[in-house]
Amino acid sequence: MALQAGPEELGEQVVEEPEDLEDQDASSISPAEEITLPVGHGGEDESEPLLLPWDRFSAWLHCICVVGFDLELGQAVEVIYPHHSKLSEKEKTSICYLSFPDSNSGCLGDTQFCFRFRQGSNRKSSLGCFLETADRDAPVSLKRDQGHYYGYVYFRQVRDKSLKRGYFQKSLVLISRLPYVTFFHSLLKILAPEYFDKLEPCLEAACNDIDRWPTPHPGRVLSLPIMGVVIKVRIPTCYDKPGTSQLVQSTQTDSQVSIVLPTIHEVDLFRCFHPVFFHIQMLWELVLLGEPLVVMAPSPAESSDTVLALISCLSPLRYCSDFRPYFTIHDSEFKEYTTRTQAPPSVILGVTNPFFAKTLQHWPHIVRIGDMKQEGEMAKQMKVRKLKNLKTLDCKTGVYSAFKPFLNKDEDIIKQLQKGVQQKRPSAAQNAILRRYFLELTQSFIIPLERYVASLMPLQKSISPWKSPPQLRPFLQEEFMKTLEKAGPQLTSRLKGDWIGLYRQFLRCPNFDGWFRNRKREMSQKLDALHLEALCEEDLQLKTQEHTEVEKVDLVLKLKDKLTQAEKNHLPVRPGTVSKLQAHIEAIILGLPKDLQGILHKPSTP
Amino acid sequence: MALRELKVCLLGETGVGKSSIVWRFVEDSFDPNINPTIGASFMTKTVQYQNELHKFLIWDTAGQERFRALAPMYYRGSAAAIIVYDITKEETFQTLKNWVKELRQHGPPNIVVAIAGNKCDLSDAREVSEKDAKDYADSIHAIFVETSAKNAININEVFREISQRIPVLESAGATSGRGFQLGRQASESRRTCC
Repeated sequence: MALQAGPEELGEQVVEEPEDLEDQDASSISPAEEITLPVGHGGEDESEPLLLPWDRFSAWLHCICVVGFDLELGQAVEVIYPHHSKLSEKEKTSICYLSFPDSNSGCLGDTQFCFRFRQGSNRKSSLGCFLETADRDAPVSLKRDQGHYYGYVYFRQVRDKSLKRGYFQKSLVLISRLPYVTFFHSLLKILAPEYFDKLEPCLEAACNDIDRWPTPHPGRVLSLPIMGVVIKVRIPTCYDKPGTSQLVQSTQTDSQVSIVLPTIHEVDLFRCFHPVFFHIQMLWELVLLGEPLVVMAPSPAESSDTVLALISCLSPLRYCSDFRPYFTIHDSEFKEYTTRTQAPPSVILGVTNPFFAKTLQHWPHIVRIGDMKQEGEMAKQMKVRKLKNLKTLDCKTGVYSAFKPFLNKDEDIIKQLQKGVQQKRPSAAQNAILRRYFLELTQSFIIPLERYVASLMPLQKSISPWKSPPQLRPFLQEEFMKTLEKAGPQLTSRLKGDWIGLYRQFLRCPNFDGWFRNRKREMSQKLDALHLEALCEEDLQLKTQEHTEVEKVDLVLKLKDKLTQAEKNHLPVRPGTVSKLQAHIEAIILGLPKDLQGILHKPSTP
Repeated sequence: MALRELKVCLLGETGVGKSSIVWRFVEDSFDPNINPTIGASFMTKTVQYQNELHKFLIWDTAGQERFRALAPMYYRGSAAAIIVYDITKEETFQTLKNWVKELRQHGPPNIVVAIAGNKCDLSDAREVSEKDAKDYADSIHAIFVETSAKNAININEVFREISQRIPVLESAGATSGRGFQLGRQASESRRTCC
């Protein structure tokens, strides 16, 4: 922030250029935690491409829907904003059903919850390529969801005698691919009450605000003006140290002026697990292993919070199977997921309709959350209940499962949390303790895998510029198991138990698959990058002197192809590699006859 | 140096030049064919005032009637409001008076009000006399200036006067940035020293 002299007659100093929506507001980052992004990721990502109207909006949201209740039609999408956004009929139907609570329980007043549904048609965004770039630095669990949309709902139900139905019932729903649950709920808290009061001009104003937001780029502190307030957020990057938060509260706390959100996605784990916190460790194992799990709760708010909490207790590992924070009998996957002809799928469902107690009776693991208002009753359920005891509506809060956890129970964390309850420790502190506990558990589990997989990387010396890049060694389960004796989770966790058994089952589940595929891709890219760097170090001109024209042309074409691939895949090469290789190519071309030069200089056709 | 965020909103009838004033202040440019604002547009600019940095969070509201009901979102929490009228259109001055009333009734209690008679470059077509407007502004203790966003007249001055009327933070820093109780006198005595 260099000081610039302002207009002289003012005698003031203009300190900062205007319209500084993406300024790295230094005051709001704690310097100790400031992260510098690794260089060499293409380097060009500071400049955003030319964005058309609604492009910025689309980077955040697909659309905003208003879902109301029509006496004749039932639930119906009343408004889609912006008007040009596309939703298939099937998607609209899903949104309709998922935007309203489906249980009889009142939900009087305002309720917020979230759902997730499969994208109906294959829709390609014109921004696709650009958004991928923005997504690259995001942690795996925060990348945009390719096959699904999230719906973030603000539902209002109030008595209104002037209406035939006697109630005003309406939902304002944000449809997005981004899993920023806390952020969108905060946004809805600002937006929805104003909307119910002032209707469409309000949506118009809000969408217009959002369309001028900076794109959701990981690592930057973003100032997002919306309806008279500025929300400040930072989207985490995959380079952040897990468990640290980068935004600190600024001194000013007038929520009518600006709001600092300490997190965009983290749910309050303690509040969500409160009713079943004796079983958190077992739940962690169930989620880790991708076991079919259903959460039965009295309201969509509770079901969606609990499902999201379950997913996020694996962080930084990504939960790879399908999950539905709120699932109804109208869902297009209802049949697929509830059929009794196959074993229950590896999914986590949040439901509220009592009907599911019957439909999903055969499911192996059921989490039952009672009415959270009766908190006195919570946390007495020390024992895991037998499934056969689960009948219908009147079931008590608890975890119903025949699962025998692999690891021994960690009594310390339970005691610590219980003590917190007794001492009335603030919920935020309890949440932090629990989050840290899960993080350490997941890391203890994943570190041996990381270490083994890293050992599958070929040696640097096996990379030769004149051979294709070497392959990764295959993952051999027994070889990995052997490493556990010396370098297993016992190094970082004091928990005892059947870790080996836990790993064996994990290696068969979708979470391992997703994790390994991701690692493999990263490592192959690293190999490609190293190969490219090795090529760069060669004196290509000297090497090619002896070769025929045909061979030289062949080399040029191959190198060009490699460069395009490198740029397309954003290979993590050292800075300067690409330009160096370009210079090499240039030099070889210049050594060729003029007519060939002309041809080779032409941009390559795809 | 303390950085303070000051929310400022612009109010006034459509076409009086609210957005042009903000553009002149923030970008130092002028576009005669600017589109009507939808909802409100947001811009920021930071200026130094004495020992503080004032970051103006400027909400430039739409003047069109259909957005009228949204105004409270923008003046809520505002440290200052700039109400703009067009000196060549008498009725825009009447609208301004309505805004003043609304702010008095529903706005933040200590909001600094500035009245800007815009388009003073068109004085040939003047319908509102400078004296009448000034008298009115004085009667409600508002800042008053005639401005021209087109010719860059008095634009920065409005914001500087606002800065002057914003009470300084107590150096103890015990509380957050909202101490508008401090009177105008304190800031006026300070004015002499700069």
